[in-house]
Amino acid sequence: MKAAIKEYVVGELLSGKDVGDEDDLLLSGLVDSLGVMRLVNHLEQQYSIKIPPEDVTIEHFMNIEAISLYLERCISV
Amino acid sequence: MNYLLQHVIDSSAERYAERPAFRYLNTSLSYGELVERANKLAWGLVGEGIKRGDRVGIFLHKSLESPLAVYAIMKSGAAYVPLDPGAPVSRLRKTIQHCGIRCLITHTQKEQDTLALLDGETPLECVIGLAALDRPGIRSLGWDSFDAAAGDRAPDTGVMEQDLAYIMYTSGSTGMPKGIMHTHASGLSYARMAAETYGITHEDRLSNHSPLHFDMSTLDYFSGPLRGACTVIIPEAYTKLPASLSGLIEDEGLTIWYSVPFALIQLLLRGNVEKRDLSSLRWVLFGGEPFPPKYLHALRRLWPLARFSNVYGPAEVNQCTYYHVPGDEPESDMPLPIGRVWPNAEALVVDESDQPVDRGESGELLVRTPTMMRGYWEQPDLNRYVFYRRPAVGGASNVFYRTGDLVQDRGDGVFIFLGRKDRQIKIRGYRVELDEVESVLAAHERVEEAAAYIVTGSEDSNSIQAAVILKSRQDGIADEIRQHCVQQLPWYAVPESVLFLESFPRTTSGKIDRRALQRQVIDRQTAEAAS
Repeated sequence: MKAAIKEYVVGELLSGKDVGDEDDLLLSGLVDSLGVMRLVNHLEQQYSIKIPPEDVTIEHFMNIEAISLYLERCISV
Repeated sequence: MNYLLQHVIDSSAERYAERPAFRYLNTSLSYGELVERANKLAWGLVGEGIKRGDRVGIFLHKSLESPLAVYAIMKSGAAYVPLDPGAPVSRLRKTIQHCGIRCLITHTQKEQDTLALLDGETPLECVIGLAALDRPGIRSLGWDSFDAAAGDRAPDTGVMEQDLAYIMYTSGSTGMPKGIMHTHASGLSYARMAAETYGITHEDRLSNHSPLHFDMSTLDYFSGPLRGACTVIIPEAYTKLPASLSGLIEDEGLTIWYSVPFALIQLLLRGNVEKRDLSSLRWVLFGGEPFPPKYLHALRRLWPLARFSNVYGPAEVNQCTYYHVPGDEPESDMPLPIGRVWPNAEALVVDESDQPVDRGESGELLVRTPTMMRGYWEQPDLNRYVFYRRPAVGGASNVFYRTGDLVQDRGDGVFIFLGRKDRQIKIRGYRVELDEVESVLAAHERVEEAAAYIVTGSEDSNSIQAAVILKSRQDGIADEIRQHCVQQLPWYAVPESVLFLESFPRTTSGKIDRRALQRQVIDRQTAEAAS
């Protein structure tokens, strides 16, 4: 799953610029607020889940590692 | 005597030395510490040869180092030039070259980008914030190099209020960003006007939502400190995640909010605001682009005790009009006025030949205010054009700034914004010249002709789209053109999509009919949404 998330983030949001699993996606200005919205929509469709707005926080979206941990939890519930 | 912008922290430190001047995450910089550390860094800059009239770049993400750099640079006698930490290196290099920046203040986070900035010919001689950079001809010093300097006083630089305090670069229609020069006098006038208008006191806690290179940051950086208030620098990550942002507003007990409307719309739609106690907010200011009334009304219902003001003014004059939304104003879909001109400022609405129009007629807004810029850096032709000299009594003349904005007086001195005279647009508050986007596209070797235009998407946010005619088709050209734009333009100015056409719709005079292109795209989107 982590690889799939990374593929989307790098391909769709970062114009191909590579990024590590624990690199901060948000601080460095890599992903902007519309990018975050696109990512959330993509994840909802891809994994058939609903991500409530209150879950779209720094803890869950700061890097690829955090996103995949959060998704694993969503899917297992 | 307070006549320079940095004096605002010096005098607040005398009264409120222990109180926080700036906060970032859970760390504070008190007025006492800010003054002492800014003095030390200013001496360090002077030691590096920085003097009155110089420009020093700031290349930092949001952090507590930013206010230190801002105040230290001014204390060294120089003007600060905030660089967009997310902008493409090639664009930043142009700015550094154009502005003759000899010294840059940065952080280890930006080491790779700083090294890239130093490639090739550069006026840079000195980098502060990165110790031991291995570049011949470049002196580099860490943030801790100045600890031993004198912190009890600033260097004596001979700076006067008409000297430059800061230069902000913004999109220029020719493809070269232009530097808006503000003096200590214009900056301090603005800080005072804003502090007075919004009744800022030492008990206020202001948001700093805007990045430093965006002109809205000057209210947060100077009006708050003028009154001994605390400015809470909102980390970039929070500005992208409304659910985290609302928590920060609650935890920090912010009392004055200032941002582009987009940030407030995001807070409203995704910020989980119903579950937060945001009752500390007493004044919500927004500006930079129109705020769709439906969202404003929803926010007013949510925060009934807060006041709301639409503030208006190009970066060239800071702010010049405001509209305080009356508490009992009925909800309507009418666009929000930009309001009345500030006290001590004068507005003129003129026609094409600079003649004042009758009240109620539309025309270009010209403004005369002590908060006005000195001019654009090294742009004599543009400066001759943007300043309009109007004969005054005694054979003198008054200087007005041409805003390029079309307005109409509602009849009671309250202005309505109608649009632009030229092709400048706003993307989430950021100014973009569509001509610049086109000139970057057209500079690509395979592009014959390019047109850029805006399309309004969901949640009323604008996006830039473009169409190009290629000299010849080839595989992978879409990616190549996107990369080309990403390397030349700031992220918010990169076209969201590029259409490849064989020909453009034209007006009878042969000009590209951008409206027709725009309509085609909108029709297609509507059709896609319907199918």
